[in-house]
Amino acid sequence: MRNFIRFISQFANLIFFVVLEVLCAILISRTRTIQGNDLVNSSNAVSGFFYKRQNAIVHYFGLGRMNDSLLAENRKLHEALANLQFATANFSDSITRLPKGLPDSAHRVTYARYIFRTAKVINNSVAQQDNYITLNRGADEGIRKGMAVISSSGAVGKVVHVSPHFSTVLSLLSSLQEVSVHLKDGTVGISKWQIEGTRPSPDVLYMTDVPAQIPMRIGDSVWTTTYSFFPPEVLVGIIQKVFIVKKTGKRLLYLKPANNFRNMQYVYVVENTYSEEQKQLESENKLEQNKPKKRTK
Amino acid sequence: MSIPVRNIIRFFLLLAVQVLLNKISLRWWSEPMGFPVFVPYIYPLFILLLPFETPVWLLLVLGFVTGISVDALMNTGGMHAAATVLLAYLRTNTLNALLPRPLNEYPNLAPGVKTLGWIPFLTYAGFLILVHHLVYFSIEFWSFYNIGLLSLKIIASATTTLLLVIAYLLLFTRQVASRA
Repeated sequence: MRNFIRFISQFANLIFFVVLEVLCAILISRTRTIQGNDLVNSSNAVSGFFYKRQNAIVHYFGLGRMNDSLLAENRKLHEALANLQFATANFSDSITRLPKGLPDSAHRVTYARYIFRTAKVINNSVAQQDNYITLNRGADEGIRKGMAVISSSGAVGKVVHVSPHFSTVLSLLSSLQEVSVHLKDGTVGISKWQIEGTRPSPDVLYMTDVPAQIPMRIGDSVWTTTYSFFPPEVLVGIIQKVFIVKKTGKRLLYLKPANNFRNMQYVYVVENTYSEEQKQLESENKLEQNKPKKRTK
Repeated sequence: MSIPVRNIIRFFLLLAVQVLLNKISLRWWSEPMGFPVFVPYIYPLFILLLPFETPVWLLLVLGFVTGISVDALMNTGGMHAAATVLLAYLRTNTLNALLPRPLNEYPNLAPGVKTLGWIPFLTYAGFLILVHHLVYFSIEFWSFYNIGLLSLKIIASATTTLLLVIAYLLLFTRQVASRA
């Protein structure tokens, strides 16, 4: 017993050191998944306050840029509005009244309804392996986990943590997040930030395993699909380089992200009002799969 | 200004500087896919500049608190804390190796340019910062697959941090000297 106490007192510092490191390891292991990381993150009140102050200073330097992005967005909205008016304008002849530009069916199918909420970026990083963005809106303003975040120029990420007044977003610049995207001709693929053998950079996203016969050109746009948590047809990036993987014969596309992750100021948090229903339905499929299968003789 | 007060002020100052540095991610030359983007981590300087006679357990606690505060600000949940606790643990041994007499014979003194001299202090700071960055980036990458990128990032970030440490020392040691 005395030996044991002497052992403890001799190595007290070492033991304390090991205990602290194990504590750190537990904290780290919680962040290796998208769901974890509830304990320490910048959506808590103290760091939120810190970043809000910092943002109040930096905000002014970005006013010019912000104006430009708002102008660009206004232009886009005007264009969309005009197109919509064109599409829904009725044209009547002596026989029928049909909405022009819409398919000739009596009903219109609503796939999903999206609610847009604006938010300001108060913290942002691009240099890490998994980059997070902190927004100045939280649960009190209706932000929930899993909502998509887009900016006026393109896709940004997904809300992962929410506190009453702040929320953190896992940006596309993360190894944890892959997004389903499609090319101009409808080819669906996955856009990733990190693939083996390349250096992650905030200016490049990769789209892997594109079949070689698909026609594409440098400068083509890549949009989100209806399969992802993003609303469909949000710009993800522009092809800046096409690379042919010799081993598989497939193409690897280097995308320039549509959204400049270095200087985001305002973003939209998009809520899909039917996502709960969809998730519930899909989870039923999974339950079905997990049931023990009957062996056929 | 008493020693604890000075250290508390330094803690908040370094944390504030770190928050600003997070916003400005650096890159040494701008080739689209060449050099990695990195952030220098200057906050370990707080542990490096604590007085000589700080007991090891207190160093460990302060290291953990510093690390976890930076973690909270950067969404890294424990990575900075792990690296900083290791740095705090190695500090005593490094100082013992560099100084002729045992540490408790230097009352009311802290490691600095005036007590250690430029070359020993930079050896001390450089070694510990390198260890800290090595551990931090290894945890962040979580694999040695991309070892070239990993070492580039470590070297770039550690060098920039050391430059910032020198800037900090030049700024703050002269002030004390002129007052004395």
